[in-house]
Amino acid sequence: MKQRLDFVVNGERVAVYVEPWRTLLEILRDELKLKGVKEGCSSGMCGACTVLIDGKPVKSCLVLAPQVEGKSILTIEGLIRDGQLHPLQQAFIEHFAVQCGYCTPGMILSAKALLDENPRPTEEEVREALRGNLCRCTGYVKIVEAILACSKKDWEG
Amino acid sequence: MMSEFSYVGANITRVDVLEKVTGQAVYTGDIELAGMLHVKLLRSPYPHAKIHRIDSSKALKVPGVKAVLTGQDAPSRRWGTFLADRPLLAQEVVRFIGEPVAAVSATTIEAAEEAVDAINVEYEELPAIFDPELAMSKEPPVIVHPDLPKYHTKLTGFLRPRLEPDMPNVINHYKIRCGDIDQGFKEAELVVENRYTTSRIQHCYIEPPTVIALFDVNGTLTIWSKSQTAWRQRAAIIDIFGLSPSKVRFITPYVGGGFGGLTWVYEALTSLVAMQTPGRPVKLVLSREEAFIDAPARIPFVVYVRDGVKRDGTIVAREIKMILDAGAYSAYTGLIVKNASFGTVGTYRIPNFKLDSYGVYTNNPPNSSFRGLGSCQAEWAIESQMDEIAERLGMDPVEFRKKNMLHEGDRNVQGEIAHSVGAEECLDKAASLIRWDEKPEQEPGPWKKGKGIAVGNKYTIAGTDSCALVKVREDGAVNVFHTGSEIGQGCDTVFAQIAAEEMGLPMDMVKITRGDTDITPYDWGTASSRLTFYIGNAVRMACQDAKRQIAELASEKLGVPADELRVHANKIYQRGKPDAVLNVPELFRSGGYVGKGAEIVGRATFSCPVTPEDIETGQGERLVAYFSYGAHAVELAVNVETGEVKVLKFVGAFDMGRPINPKMCEQQMEGGMSMGIGSTLYEETVVENGIVINPNFVSYKIPTITEHPLIENVKFDSAPAPHREGPFGAKGLGEGVLIPSAPAIASAIYNAVGIRIRDLPITREKIIKALEEAIKSVDLLGGGSV
Repeated sequence: MKQRLDFVVNGERVAVYVEPWRTLLEILRDELKLKGVKEGCSSGMCGACTVLIDGKPVKSCLVLAPQVEGKSILTIEGLIRDGQLHPLQQAFIEHFAVQCGYCTPGMILSAKALLDENPRPTEEEVREALRGNLCRCTGYVKIVEAILACSKKDWEG
Repeated sequence: MMSEFSYVGANITRVDVLEKVTGQAVYTGDIELAGMLHVKLLRSPYPHAKIHRIDSSKALKVPGVKAVLTGQDAPSRRWGTFLADRPLLAQEVVRFIGEPVAAVSATTIEAAEEAVDAINVEYEELPAIFDPELAMSKEPPVIVHPDLPKYHTKLTGFLRPRLEPDMPNVINHYKIRCGDIDQGFKEAELVVENRYTTSRIQHCYIEPPTVIALFDVNGTLTIWSKSQTAWRQRAAIIDIFGLSPSKVRFITPYVGGGFGGLTWVYEALTSLVAMQTPGRPVKLVLSREEAFIDAPARIPFVVYVRDGVKRDGTIVAREIKMILDAGAYSAYTGLIVKNASFGTVGTYRIPNFKLDSYGVYTNNPPNSSFRGLGSCQAEWAIESQMDEIAERLGMDPVEFRKKNMLHEGDRNVQGEIAHSVGAEECLDKAASLIRWDEKPEQEPGPWKKGKGIAVGNKYTIAGTDSCALVKVREDGAVNVFHTGSEIGQGCDTVFAQIAAEEMGLPMDMVKITRGDTDITPYDWGTASSRLTFYIGNAVRMACQDAKRQIAELASEKLGVPADELRVHANKIYQRGKPDAVLNVPELFRSGGYVGKGAEIVGRATFSCPVTPEDIETGQGERLVAYFSYGAHAVELAVNVETGEVKVLKFVGAFDMGRPINPKMCEQQMEGGMSMGIGSTLYEETVVENGIVINPNFVSYKIPTITEHPLIENVKFDSAPAPHREGPFGAKGLGEGVLIPSAPAIASAIYNAVGIRIRDLPITREKIIKALEEAIKSVDLLGGGSV
């Protein structure tokens, strides 16, 4: 029943053996122990489990195992490079864009996908890009501020 | 403004944020334990039914199933915050759709689900009741809990729920009487009377309800849970199962949002399941649908308000009746019946006042505590009245409010003397930020603009306690131990700032250890916006105790009287000598201990006194710890063709005493705005005959990032009225930030299109319907088209 899947997570090649009806969320959290990927509703409505697949933001609870074969996945754990926080992580810290933190990994990854494609988004474009990520704590104001502040700096992806 | 302090009042980076932006913060669901089993629950399909028989035999045969439990396996002792009315699993009777009837543990989630499906229950349906006003009548068609008078409560005196023998579904009745209400209405020149309602709101924390329990082979029960009340849930579990307190440990990891919603049966229920499999931990994660049904929601209120005023705008009488739908089990409702009443007394001076507040059982899913603990619902009615009365008098609503506002030293209708009252300054600041004097610029087309304003108060509970420990390490750094829950509000950062300030240490020499009842000391709970005030004070006092101990050790070492020594910034100074006489680390022996008493551990309990109020009149001296205040003002546009509302500007000012961390206060205020927009304009759990129709984020919509005013149109300010008992003058903030939002938005809608909606939420459908009715009534009067 289990099948082998080969793909890349946070820059490293991995092979996992899972049933084809497992979701990417389950693979990342349960098989690869990447607990920074959060589960909020298991039905694609809250965005807490957002990861990037080949640079595009995707709700990992809606992705079935076979769909990730050969793909490159980025989770929040993969954002630190050479011990340095990613500029978005730094901006979320400096702008107080985090409260309970449960939506934060998904927010940051959705924001990264946006800025990689559109390094100078307008406020409206930031909002449009993050409309699939729910946050109940912040009112989103400081999240938008953090992303816009980041976009003003030289965006290196 | 805060220059007298180094850390208090500064925008210190949150101490929890690095873990949170890197995905390293551990929440309950992230914990994996060897041999962990999964728990699933079978829930009732009927709102009220007798259980005749439960057949678990097929469920037990599913491979991987370790235990199947029903009400017969549950202890006779029930769970309940103020009234022990809820069995861990239904016993003989189910009282709402979704009530847990059986629990299964299994090695996989799939096996647990299959076993739940294989349990066969025979029910006999009973008549059910869903309308709280009908349920509170003297001869209700259904009595939800016939045994109510026999239910156990540890509460005594004024906290003990007041039952009404001839109203068998009433679980508490709270009264306030002040002045002469009949005389007050006789003096009135205008009487305004209305009925207001609020909907069943969901907390919608993004982290689902999650509990892990391990009953180990030594008989120790350890619980990991997203909780706001670790110590009290632990006490309930000790009580229900008759365990030794030394054998129950309750751990609260980071909490992915709480908002007052974590008052549930699940820690006790998961513990019951864990006890069937000693040595094997069990994990319960509720689905979002389950959370919408049976993780208690905000209590829907019916509020009748009748006000008498003079033509000059003086309020002379106010009479209130509040009816709270508890649903099938009470959880916090008993307390909310009482404490929601404080919302009606905290802002205004009223000579003649009468209030009756009732909590009522129905067969709806349970409702309980939510950010504001009833003040939102009560003040929705009060502030809407204020707006309407001002209009009827032809007065400016800001001036009308200010004319009747309580000030420092005034006595409120419950007899308390007001102190630390920032209400007026909040209102003035909010009015200024929205440019209250200027009318919104109207544009051609269907969008009509309007402005609205409201003020609000939020009490913080008195008569509770918090403790803190402060351990000094061998380099002089301190470790603060507390049992607040870090639910996102930033309590860890606040306590670290307070400790840094009190000790004169840099932030990186303060470490926080939180949320483990084997290690961290008692706290009443992360509720009532009380942590900054209560634990904040305890942390400060524990730091002072640690400094006293340091001085004593130094006194022995130096041969100098301790009272001549002062400890600050890791150094010890002697009176009369400008330079430090000793460094704190010099008191430690190699390895990190001290020669007498092993360790330097500052300890403190902070208690806020309370005086019992008279149960017939609600009169007392000290009923709350303090009131915090705030005001919201909004500018919005209503589309008269579609009923749609666009919030254009949202501003406010809040009195949180001295803000410990202004940026974190902004976080709260912006979050309150968001929840305010959602809960005022569209959030409603639709319950029909006990069935929750919309138990998910698609059909129950909370604000997304697109539904708020843009950044330059959001502005929050503080209007601090420092409190003499607060740590550095601080009060709480987290709940008040929601309270004025609904009446401010409703007032702006009225200002825009001239319709008053008194039932929350103010949906597009309600606006369109009200606009159509307004047109009809104008037609009937021969007024032509609008």
